[in-house]
Amino acid sequence: MTPSKDRNYFKQEPRGEITAHSEVATGDPFSPAEAEQVATLEQMPRGTSRYKLYLRRFFRNKLATIGLIILVFLMLAALFGGFFAKWDYTEPDFLALSEPPSPEHWFGTNDTGNDLYAQTIHGLGRSLTIAIVVSLATLVISAFVGSAAALWGGVAEKAVLAVIHFLLSIPTFLLIALVVADSGGDWKLLIVVLIVFGWMYQARVIWSLALTVREQDYVRAAGYMGVSKLRTIVRHVIPNIGSLLIIQFVFGVVGTVGSETALSFLGLGVKLPDVSLGTLLQGGTAAVQSSPWLFYFPAATLTLLTVSMAFIGDGLRDALDPNSNSGGKA
Amino acid sequence: MTKYLIKKTLGWLLMIFLATNLAYLLAANFLDPRSNYIGRRPPLSAEEINNLLEPYNLSPDTPLVQRWWTWLTNILTKWDWGQSPVGEVVNSEISYRIWVSAQLLLLSTILSILIGVAVGVYTASRQYKTGDRVWQGISIIAMNTHVVVASIAVVWGALKINELTGKKIFYVVGSHSLDVEGFFPKLMDSAQHLVLPTISLVFISYASYHMTQRTLLLDNLDADYVRTARAKGLTRQQAIRKHALRTSIIPVATSVAFSIPGIFTGAVMTERIFGWNGMGQYFIETISKNDVNGAAAVAAFGAAMTAISAVLADVVVVALDPRVRVS
Repeated sequence: MTPSKDRNYFKQEPRGEITAHSEVATGDPFSPAEAEQVATLEQMPRGTSRYKLYLRRFFRNKLATIGLIILVFLMLAALFGGFFAKWDYTEPDFLALSEPPSPEHWFGTNDTGNDLYAQTIHGLGRSLTIAIVVSLATLVISAFVGSAAALWGGVAEKAVLAVIHFLLSIPTFLLIALVVADSGGDWKLLIVVLIVFGWMYQARVIWSLALTVREQDYVRAAGYMGVSKLRTIVRHVIPNIGSLLIIQFVFGVVGTVGSETALSFLGLGVKLPDVSLGTLLQGGTAAVQSSPWLFYFPAATLTLLTVSMAFIGDGLRDALDPNSNSGGKA
Repeated sequence: MTKYLIKKTLGWLLMIFLATNLAYLLAANFLDPRSNYIGRRPPLSAEEINNLLEPYNLSPDTPLVQRWWTWLTNILTKWDWGQSPVGEVVNSEISYRIWVSAQLLLLSTILSILIGVAVGVYTASRQYKTGDRVWQGISIIAMNTHVVVASIAVVWGALKINELTGKKIFYVVGSHSLDVEGFFPKLMDSAQHLVLPTISLVFISYASYHMTQRTLLLDNLDADYVRTARAKGLTRQQAIRKHALRTSIIPVATSVAFSIPGIFTGAVMTERIFGWNGMGQYFIETISKNDVNGAAAVAAFGAAMTAISAVLADVVVVALDPRVRVS
């Protein structure tokens, strides 16, 4: 017997700090059996619909509501903020070097005269794009790999688990850094590498959940009816761990923003002339005494982004978990 | 138990071996040691550079398979992890830097665990009351603040305090000053350097212990044996401390076992920002200085530490939890 089969569960790493191998650590919000319980709510003859219930439970959580407002604001800023910028993020203003915030440059300028407002908007968009694409892709990969391993069983399961455990034991961050160091700061390559080395932990969590789903009668019935395994995964396994997947996606975005910012801060991820929140922080760190606005605008943006997502994730966990009584009944 | 541990350890040794080789091959492919010599005055020809790299087993003239074999046999027979492109010995670099990282991380790890568990117990026994909610909010913010932001904010505050008092109370860079003599001045000096990185590390890492401990303790608070303990006359606090906490602290102990080896692998970002020459800093240097052998050694060390923590976690669980039997 393995005494601590799920020890990874407890290994939550602080955001952005890197140990030998960092990964997106997400807790296990609730078991598939409970998720199933949520699904059956749909068949109630009348009363509140499932999604209304989720919404009500979500918005009752004040922090989650605040988080959602902040996130929507940040996303709008990333999408449309560029239209209000008086300068392009690559275009230097040689008449304003290292100037504090002013009506001309809302967030001030850096030592080469780049407008920090335009840079922050662009960097926020860049970081968000990377994070969302990476988390979506890792989610899809890990959902399929995890539930396929559980459903097929036998040699296939053992092989997949061996690969996952091997990839979890190697210092992933080192390998990511090695591969992207020479890329010249191409953010698309960064996305690919973060996906390749980022799916294992989630896949393991999903595998352990799918283990219980595969024992359910409806999965066995689907097997007897001749439904193919792939179809069973899409129609039966994944919907039953759906709420977990949503939560994992949210925390995945937070984790990816952290790793991307860390890599870019170290000069290994996104590089100039392209900017992300990490490169902006790097610039701000160097000038924290002489021109502090270079630090506090990107830092505030990054913190608002990760904290608001975390609040949302927490609110979703409570809203989707039928056993949670954090905010009263129903 | 012994048999189980031996089996586990052998499995992990295989993992370490594979991981190290993978890292070496990736490093040899993606890092180019020749660029360390480009731009030298007087300029060196390609042939001269290769000749310089030859004794370090890094010359691109030698086929990769041959370089890999030399590297591997040197490690296995002489425990020699090679040299950097400019000739620094990897073995001595690592054995020095491990202790720098340990100095930086030991205190902050202990503090994070103590604070995290204490807050976890406090909030779990007041579930959904104001204290719990407030700590929950603080911890979510702390856990999701990026380490760079936390560190620089701490540095900024410290610089302000230094400015206000007109004295150098906090040192922002490095692990110690060079010109300090005597035991107590040295201790004071270390403390002045250690305070800032410790604050930022504790801030970002205590929260995960808080959350874990809170969830686990809540699972146990309603257990029958806690009620029995109350029934036989213990106060709620005593029942929690002596019965509920005992069971729920086992998984936390596992995660503590996991974090111990992390003390030696260092903290990349913190070391970089505060200028400590530990393992984290070394990790960045090997990549930026195209140090193939160094990068492979860092990977090996990281994998070895993961292996040790996994085995340690198993041992801790068996030692603490009488319900777990290993066959």
